[in-house]
Amino acid sequence: MSKRKKRQKIKIIIATIFALIVVVVGALANFIAPHDPNATNAMLMRKAPSAEYLFGTDNMGRCVLSRVLDGARITLASTFLLVAISFLVGIIIGMLCGYYGGIVDTILMRIADLMLAFPQMVVAIAVAGILGGGIFGAMIALGITMWTGFARLARSHTLSIKNEPYITAAKLNGKNGMQIIFGHIFPNIVENVLVNALTQIGTTMIGLAGLSFLGLGVTAPQAEWGSMISEGRAYLQLAPWVVIFPAIAIIITIIIFNYLGDVVMEYRRMD
Amino acid sequence: MKLSKKVLAAFMAAGMIFGMAACGGGGTSTGSSAAGSSAAGSSAAGSAAAGSSAAGSGDKILKAAASFAYASLDVHKESYGWYTSIYGVSESLFKVDDNSKVVSCLAKDAVAEGNKWTITLNDGVAFSNGNKLTAEIVIKNLKRAAEVNKKYAKYADYKMEAKDEKTVVIDTGDKPVPTMKNDLADVTLGMIDIDNTKDFDNNPICTGPFVIKEFKPKGDVTVAKNEKYWGGSVALDGAVFYYMQEDDPKLLAMQSGELDCYNSVSADAMAVYQKEPDKYKVVSIQGSRLQFYILNQKLDAKVREAINLTVDKDAMAEFLKGSVSPATSPFASTTAYSKVNIPKVDTAKAKSLIEEAGYKLGSDGIYEKGGQKLKLKVCYYAARSLDKLAVLMQEQLKAIGIDCELKVEEDADATYIKTKDYDIAWYCMISDKTGDPQYFIDTTLAKDSNYNGGFTNAEMDKLIEELHSETDSAKRAELANKIIQIAIDGNAFGYTGIFNHTTVLKPGVSGFAENSPYDFYGIDAKTTK
Amino acid sequence: MNVKKQILKKIIELIILLVVLSFLTFMLMYLAPGDPVEKKLSAQGTAISQEVLEAERERLGLNRPVLVRYAEWFAGVLHGDFGVSMTDEMPVGPRLAAGLSNTMVLALSSLIVALIVSIPLGILSAVKQNSILDHIVKLLSFIGNALPNFLISVLMMYLFCIVFRVFPVVANNSFNGLFLPAISLAIPMAGRFTRQIRAEIISQLDSDYVTGLRTRGVKEKDVLLRNVFHNASPHIFTIIALQIGTLMGGSVIIENIFRWPGIGRLVMEAINGRDYTTISGFVLIMGTIYVVINFLSDLLQQSMDPRSIS
Repeated sequence: MSKRKKRQKIKIIIATIFALIVVVVGALANFIAPHDPNATNAMLMRKAPSAEYLFGTDNMGRCVLSRVLDGARITLASTFLLVAISFLVGIIIGMLCGYYGGIVDTILMRIADLMLAFPQMVVAIAVAGILGGGIFGAMIALGITMWTGFARLARSHTLSIKNEPYITAAKLNGKNGMQIIFGHIFPNIVENVLVNALTQIGTTMIGLAGLSFLGLGVTAPQAEWGSMISEGRAYLQLAPWVVIFPAIAIIITIIIFNYLGDVVMEYRRMD
Repeated sequence: MKLSKKVLAAFMAAGMIFGMAACGGGGTSTGSSAAGSSAAGSSAAGSAAAGSSAAGSGDKILKAAASFAYASLDVHKESYGWYTSIYGVSESLFKVDDNSKVVSCLAKDAVAEGNKWTITLNDGVAFSNGNKLTAEIVIKNLKRAAEVNKKYAKYADYKMEAKDEKTVVIDTGDKPVPTMKNDLADVTLGMIDIDNTKDFDNNPICTGPFVIKEFKPKGDVTVAKNEKYWGGSVALDGAVFYYMQEDDPKLLAMQSGELDCYNSVSADAMAVYQKEPDKYKVVSIQGSRLQFYILNQKLDAKVREAINLTVDKDAMAEFLKGSVSPATSPFASTTAYSKVNIPKVDTAKAKSLIEEAGYKLGSDGIYEKGGQKLKLKVCYYAARSLDKLAVLMQEQLKAIGIDCELKVEEDADATYIKTKDYDIAWYCMISDKTGDPQYFIDTTLAKDSNYNGGFTNAEMDKLIEELHSETDSAKRAELANKIIQIAIDGNAFGYTGIFNHTTVLKPGVSGFAENSPYDFYGIDAKTTK
Repeated sequence: MNVKKQILKKIIELIILLVVLSFLTFMLMYLAPGDPVEKKLSAQGTAISQEVLEAERERLGLNRPVLVRYAEWFAGVLHGDFGVSMTDEMPVGPRLAAGLSNTMVLALSSLIVALIVSIPLGILSAVKQNSILDHIVKLLSFIGNALPNFLISVLMMYLFCIVFRVFPVVANNSFNGLFLPAISLAIPMAGRFTRQIRAEIISQLDSDYVTGLRTRGVKEKDVLLRNVFHNASPHIFTIIALQIGTLMGGSVIIENIFRWPGIGRLVMEAINGRDYTTISGFVLIMGTIYVVINFLSDLLQQSMDPRSIS
């Protein structure tokens, strides 16, 4: 058993190293990038990958590799922050609703329904109008609906374990609601909700870019993976590399962080 | 019934995927499902093939794509007349030809005598139901347009009279309307057989070479040859306009041979077509949509001049290769009213102008005055390639020492255009609606115009006044050239590009208004396939 | 609490929710820059004079206070009249109904496809944790999740319409036209479902009761299907319920690319055109859908998982 645990530990270390590499690459983009990520060049429009431009160039002649590197920081930071906050808000509200039920549950869940029923664009336009744009606005516009999914999932799990013997035992031991929620319920449901959160990374990266025409998102010409993909869409047949490389960057990020999540959770279960 | 069919189809689709997943993933016990799915697959393939073979032979039906679709075909309402014109259904009294000249269509000519216009109709003009177009019906049409469309409210104020069956007299009162002919060429003022049209929204009876066969609101439109067309025989048997908003499917449909032609081709799709010139005919001519930026007059005059001397519209057009030509004036270079001079790029002079204005180059390469960096607020919206132009402008200005902060809005009119909270504002609009410069001059240079950054000039106002009453088109062009030159010399705007009107056609297809600079023409009697 | 009472309570909740929802929507759209008149008249790219804009606003009654307009609209809704579109003055109700039924067909078929793929794959990769199959399924689900749906759609279209030539690009609203959009929607969904189902099954397999059943010698297959899947299903339903809501809102990109006349592009057009009436009608529908779906999933949870009833 402990040999298996040791192996699992090594897996966690490897996954962490990969995750760190992604973060470090993002942080050091300015030093690694071979070209100025924002320098345009009409002579170099849509050039295929070459030794000089490893990932090719986009239709303003900008180096795609440099843009992928330069875009890493803002893409990763905004996505992880957004998913993490939504996850925390969602899981806490979900546990409260599931554990206490009653009027608190009714009101919070109807608020969740309310948030979900708004068309995303209406929320986004309103947020853009009120906050005046920026990446922060985009995160709010997406976050307003994102927490609700985590909340409903956490609530569903809380409902199914709240009458388990160990919870009842904790109650009899005189523990209060908060202690039970964070001490007993949270550790038991976190994994299932976390899996949901980790699968949302990709959709979030794409979603953040979808609001840029509203002024919600990074300010041009700053690179960002989702926007690179949606801008490259128009000339997919002419220069597929402009879409492919940021998409690969997203896929690699998802794989690394999901794998990290998986191995950590597996390790936890081995106790 | 319709719904249940769709539900059935849904289950079939589901079954098919299941089958495919099972095959692909080496599944175990889904044999029957897989068999069912392959049957569904082959029947789908069969019908697809049948569809394409029907397109290849038989009737001459043109298959085109339309980027817009509306809920109504009422020629006079909103801008639906653009589409009835594109579909070859409606016609107006006059037409604008490929050189932006107003020519005869339903009417032979219009002559002004003071503020009184006499319009003579062409011989033999009839609606698709055989009824004649008379002077009285023309007046009814103009009155209806004034009633249902606020843009044409002025026709309610004119005194209109049918002198005889073919002569309309329009008295504009004390206000001269030198552009009457151009105004009447507007496709929204198409002629409908008002007395006999029962359903204006779905089937207006008009005079064009085609009649509506099937109209799906906000969807596909099918037209058939008008057997009684007054202008002679019609080459095509009919046409279908598929509603396709996205560029990719249009490109793929053209490649698969399902479309014969479409216009407003994106620059990127154009580059794909141009790789195979024997398979696709691409026609690209200068259109009527202008990209320009407005300079806030609160900026120092020298800084404004420096900006205009720095922004390189040729370099910008290079990036938008194919979709935009550099602007030599706000109007297409083929027109008589496009003869103006825009100074060439001269960054050395631009720099010395900024220095004359009291700025000094800072250590970071940006000019500053009194500790204040020269940083401009550039507003734009993310359509019509303005997002690219804003980024290029930022780069060009930065190279000489002007910093820019970019601000994107979804709705330009309700934000920066209205509040005038900008140093530089990008905008794109049609600069020439019907072969005359007055509309653009009025919208951008009139005193209270939203699209003016505060530019005023007494001499210009006088010239605009003259333009409002001058009827001779050569003199009008001359006036317009002088007016625009004053705006250029005063650095009120920067005109950067004019969108090309780009059409792609299969070899053998012609007459899809591919040589017209305007977006509101499409098929006509001569369109062939 | 009996079911009748519960339903009555839900209906009251629903009505309150719809009032708040429609009111907020009306206000947000009112606060957003731009109005329907400016949007529709400048749609072709020609500049419009202020007088014309004002006259048209007056005609459409947009110059009246927003609260009056909301009250009027709401009174109409109470009589079953959703009003006319601000953009083209056609009735909103039938249009939303048509869009909704088209979207429902697409949503259902893509959901079925996604479930057919993800339930077996999810269970299999949970049972065979860390096997080659598990890793392949994982990789595929990541890829499915990372690709934006326009890319999936265009790739599907390219593959099926240009390479294999089994479907036309310009499909009509039938099976031909349903297949590709349904798959394009199903791919990322299947990826998400597979991951979630796998996680739910794994956490059940870890429970004490499973160990108990196994030691008692119950067949693995029975444990899996009768107990594990049964106990995991309320959570899986929760996830599906959330997805149904999203699906019913329609996907603008997929509907545009495949010319599917669903509710997504209808609403996107309405938002772009600031068509207050259409948007408000839409949120009423969506609010109802979410409340009903969540109610049903709560009921399901209660009936399948008696532990959750306090």
